[in-house]
Amino acid sequence: MMKITIITGGMGSLYRSEEMASCQLFLQAEAAYACVSELGELGLVQFRDLNPDVNAFQRKFVNEVRRCEEMERKLRFLEKEIRKDEIPMLDTGDNPDAPAPREMIDLEATFEKLENEMKEVNANAEALKRNYLDLTELKHILRKTQTFFDEAMSDQGMTEESIVLLGEEAVKTSGQPLRLGFVAGVILRERIPPFERMLWRACRGNVFLRQTEILTPLEDPVTGDRVHKSVFIIFFQGDQLKSRVKKICEGFRATLYPCPETQAERREMSLGVTTRIEDLNTILSQTQDHRHRVLVAAAKDIKVWFIKVRKIKAVYHTLNMLNLDVTQKCLISECWCPIRDLEKIQMALRRGTERSGGSVPSILNRMETKEQPPTYNCTNKFTKVFQDIVDSYGVAGYREVNPAPFTIVSFPFLFSLMFGDAGHGTLMLLAAIAMVVFEKRILRQKSDNEIWNMFFDGRYIILLMGAFSLYAGLMYNDIFSKSINIFGSVWHPTSGEFSAEIIKTHKDLTLDPTNDTDYRGVPYPFGMDPAWQLSLNKIKWLNSFKMKISIIFGVGQMFFGVVLSLQNHRFFKDSISIFCEFLPQVIFLTCIFGYLIVLILHKWIAIDATDAGCAPSLLIGLINMFLLNYPEEPCSSRVPPGQKGLQSFLLILIILCVPWLLVLKPYILKRRYQATQQKSSSRLGTSTEDGKSAEDAIDGAIQDDSHGQYEEELNLLEIVVHQCIHTIEYCLGCISHTASYLRLWALSLAHAELSEVLWNMVFRVALKVDGYLGVISIYILFTPWACLTIAILLLMEALSAFLHTLRLHWIEFQSKFYKGDGYLFDPFSFDKIIESRADEV
Amino acid sequence: MNSLNFNIDNGYLEGLVRGFKGGILKQTDYLNLIQCETLEDLKLHLQSTDYGNFLANEASPLQVSVIDDKLKEKLVIEFQHMRNQSVTPLATFLDYITYSYMIDNIVLLITGTLHQRAISELIPKCHPLGSFEQMEALHIASTPAELYNAVLVDTPLASYFIDCISEQDLDELNIEIIRNALYKAYLEDFYKFCQTLGDSTGAYMSDALAFEADRRAFIITINSFGTELPKDDRAKLYPRCGKLFPDGLAALARADDYEQVRAVAEYYSEYRVLFEESSNNPGEKTLEDKFFEYEVMLMKKAFLDQFHFGIFYAYVKLKEQESRNIIWIAECVAQRHRAKIDSYIPIF
Repeated sequence: MMKITIITGGMGSLYRSEEMASCQLFLQAEAAYACVSELGELGLVQFRDLNPDVNAFQRKFVNEVRRCEEMERKLRFLEKEIRKDEIPMLDTGDNPDAPAPREMIDLEATFEKLENEMKEVNANAEALKRNYLDLTELKHILRKTQTFFDEAMSDQGMTEESIVLLGEEAVKTSGQPLRLGFVAGVILRERIPPFERMLWRACRGNVFLRQTEILTPLEDPVTGDRVHKSVFIIFFQGDQLKSRVKKICEGFRATLYPCPETQAERREMSLGVTTRIEDLNTILSQTQDHRHRVLVAAAKDIKVWFIKVRKIKAVYHTLNMLNLDVTQKCLISECWCPIRDLEKIQMALRRGTERSGGSVPSILNRMETKEQPPTYNCTNKFTKVFQDIVDSYGVAGYREVNPAPFTIVSFPFLFSLMFGDAGHGTLMLLAAIAMVVFEKRILRQKSDNEIWNMFFDGRYIILLMGAFSLYAGLMYNDIFSKSINIFGSVWHPTSGEFSAEIIKTHKDLTLDPTNDTDYRGVPYPFGMDPAWQLSLNKIKWLNSFKMKISIIFGVGQMFFGVVLSLQNHRFFKDSISIFCEFLPQVIFLTCIFGYLIVLILHKWIAIDATDAGCAPSLLIGLINMFLLNYPEEPCSSRVPPGQKGLQSFLLILIILCVPWLLVLKPYILKRRYQATQQKSSSRLGTSTEDGKSAEDAIDGAIQDDSHGQYEEELNLLEIVVHQCIHTIEYCLGCISHTASYLRLWALSLAHAELSEVLWNMVFRVALKVDGYLGVISIYILFTPWACLTIAILLLMEALSAFLHTLRLHWIEFQSKFYKGDGYLFDPFSFDKIIESRADEV
Repeated sequence: MNSLNFNIDNGYLEGLVRGFKGGILKQTDYLNLIQCETLEDLKLHLQSTDYGNFLANEASPLQVSVIDDKLKEKLVIEFQHMRNQSVTPLATFLDYITYSYMIDNIVLLITGTLHQRAISELIPKCHPLGSFEQMEALHIASTPAELYNAVLVDTPLASYFIDCISEQDLDELNIEIIRNALYKAYLEDFYKFCQTLGDSTGAYMSDALAFEADRRAFIITINSFGTELPKDDRAKLYPRCGKLFPDGLAALARADDYEQVRAVAEYYSEYRVLFEESSNNPGEKTLEDKFFEYEVMLMKKAFLDQFHFGIFYAYVKLKEQESRNIIWIAECVAQRHRAKIDSYIPIF
């Protein structure tokens, strides 16, 4: 495990977080920008905000930040335009350094010019498009109204019959045409019904509206959306109605167009419009070309510009956190940095000073602080996912034992106990290998799919989980709920007793382990014997085995956790906790569950098939141990003579551990506190005797005491309460956590059963069919079986096993030693800033 | 509607609105805002609040009107989202909230046309929450009857308008009367609707609407002094769903000057305080401000209970107050008139 971290990390270990130092940085005012930008490239320094009380807009470099924001706005505007034209933006992966402050002006000028150019082009294009829209609408009006008028004409020229029907009025109107005024225009299609209704109401039905849809959608000049519109023509009589109709049209944003009354004029106009449209088309395409050229040129650089501007902004944000010293010549900052990398930071500062041409070097001073330093675990792509799993529960305290390196092995292992199926394990392994092998290619694609990214980020954990499941599956001898007989089963029915006929006619037959011919006498060399797969009592046997295995591994992990707590106590030189917490905890755990494991191993080793009848019951045995109850049973004689005494002794130890854990630590702390108090009071006495100025001594003592005493008194109550909680949590926790580890068995059982059910209910149906039909049915049924296997057994079951493993680590394992009260080291790093922005976009 | 089934239809939206409520500016934010020197500072500070980058894409120099538009836009987007996700009765409830904006828009448009303003100039001034299809055609009408027949008959406000049809023509006074009559009908209808919803919605909304009704009654009375509005016409404009109904309204109808109004308020403990603490002296809070403060207090109360619609109403009202505050501060900053900058009304 440690080897892995050394190889891949190349430095430091995951066991404890990096040693951090609180440092003071003195930066020359002129070199500050360059230095901070170098540190940003390095990404190893966490600046502390030294002006937390100052408003965002009262800080020193607020103008620069604002200028950056303005630049960003312009870039966003350009980006939007580029996207609108669907020009690909080149992502070369370039990572330019933060430009010097004087380059900012150049950048600003460039963006300003581009933005203005873009705006001008847009305004031109919009005007042209509006013009174009007007003309097209007019064209449609002329065309459509033509049909209206044509219909009207044909109405007039209708048969005599209709004239008679229409009566005198009709004759009159047709005799005196053009008495009716009309307006023609274009309106959004969805507005037609209310428009019509309003017209009818406002004009009391005295207008006549004809409308028809324009089939091709038109382009809105401002938004560029496609809109559907309709041509309408309204006939009315009189000026009053005309103004009213016009007002309504205006209200509904209909555009009105002049429409000549005679057909010849209309035709002429139509011709004129068509030529103008053609002219406009050429101009429009030229404008578009120009726009396109400008944007293509911008698209090449836009990513780099974004990075540059963001870097500048980040630098100024950081500079805003610094303090200006009295002489105004020097900026002071406080920061956290890993001690191991101090050299690199010094180098970066030197580079920054050189780049800015400053003569006075920047100074990095280590300083003492009482604050808890941040936790910084140096991870790589392999360890990161495990560290993330730990961190999402709680960030380790500074230099506390980090569970992540142990998690690398225990996590996939516990997972595999639940997900033990070599077939599913292989599939998982293959998927993970694919992700690992094509890692670089996939990373370059930068998918936005959250679910996929989650899987991809966890590729290494999936890899290990797959490999371990493959192993556990082989141990369980379970491959898609089938077994393979590699080494030859050690169970074989004797030919005499179990002839082929008997096997065929009898449904159940019993193999006797005591019989030499049925059982070879030595166990199957690796994992489960494949014979169990066929047996009726397979589940019974596997349950018993898996339960015991779960307990053994679970208690083992908890024990390991308690040992890690010893490491913590030793590291923090907390000897009281070793004697008052670690020791009783170990004894408590060993006496109950260590002893249980001994019993399990004893049962496995010492008891064989011949005396199976007298095998002790572990559960009853453990309960009886606590009840001090040893009833007379037929097999009692086989109980080893010392067991009763041993168990009573263990029980006493267990009971003793509770008050030990509960009382001793607060008591010792109280004694210590009293001792210090006595000492200080005696010191007060002696110092006055010594003839020193009494006032001084008293002052000093009061100061000391008022601090110490107050804190201690508060703490004492807290310590007692805390210890109570700790004791209860640990003692009950040991028992409930052990029970909790039984989930290893339960999930494993569920997984095996589910996969067996799936096989029997779906795929076996196909295997039962004979002949050609069988081939077809296998062909048909393989798909549902495979799909269900992947969806239910691989995805859902793996997810559930994953979550249970997570729980076992977070609660059962880490509760034994892990405080997780630290906070993450959050260095000022350009890479991180740019990456997070890329996510936002 | 009861608490048991509330979350089936409205749980998501209630959660959402509570989340939105968390984004309402706090007192500390205001303290920071009033220290701003320029509108750019204001923008910078608003960026660190829930408003985020809502002004990020605006070119400098910033105008107060742009801020106002953006504030409105944000509220409208949130509101429209909730409206689109909601089902009846919440959808109807949210529609009711928009009616008051519709009334304001109608009145704004009529007044504008009366003063010969072009409709295209008026439309951007309308509140986007209260826009409706026929709105822009409002100016064809020259009498209330026409207004009703041609335009409003299709809108949900039609039923409120019936009482105003009799008015002869549209002049300043009549428009005011129409506005208040519409409001009265609207408040009473909304009140009735909330009563049918019952439960805590009914309880909270009757408080909120009763206050709104009473505030209108007071303001109408105070504003009517010195105008030619006859007393019995005035009495017709009082919304009848407040705590003042019926005795207080009857007394208000008889009032002749400010002191008499004050005397009416004496009988109502909650309003008495408002009248006592307000004054027209510079440096002290006006009656209007006191009403706003009381409203904020009432609206905040709605968030203390769960499973009711009151919080949607309350959220819109609080957000409106917040916009007023921000605009007030922005105006003070823009006009370099900092003396009264702190007379905003803090919410949380």
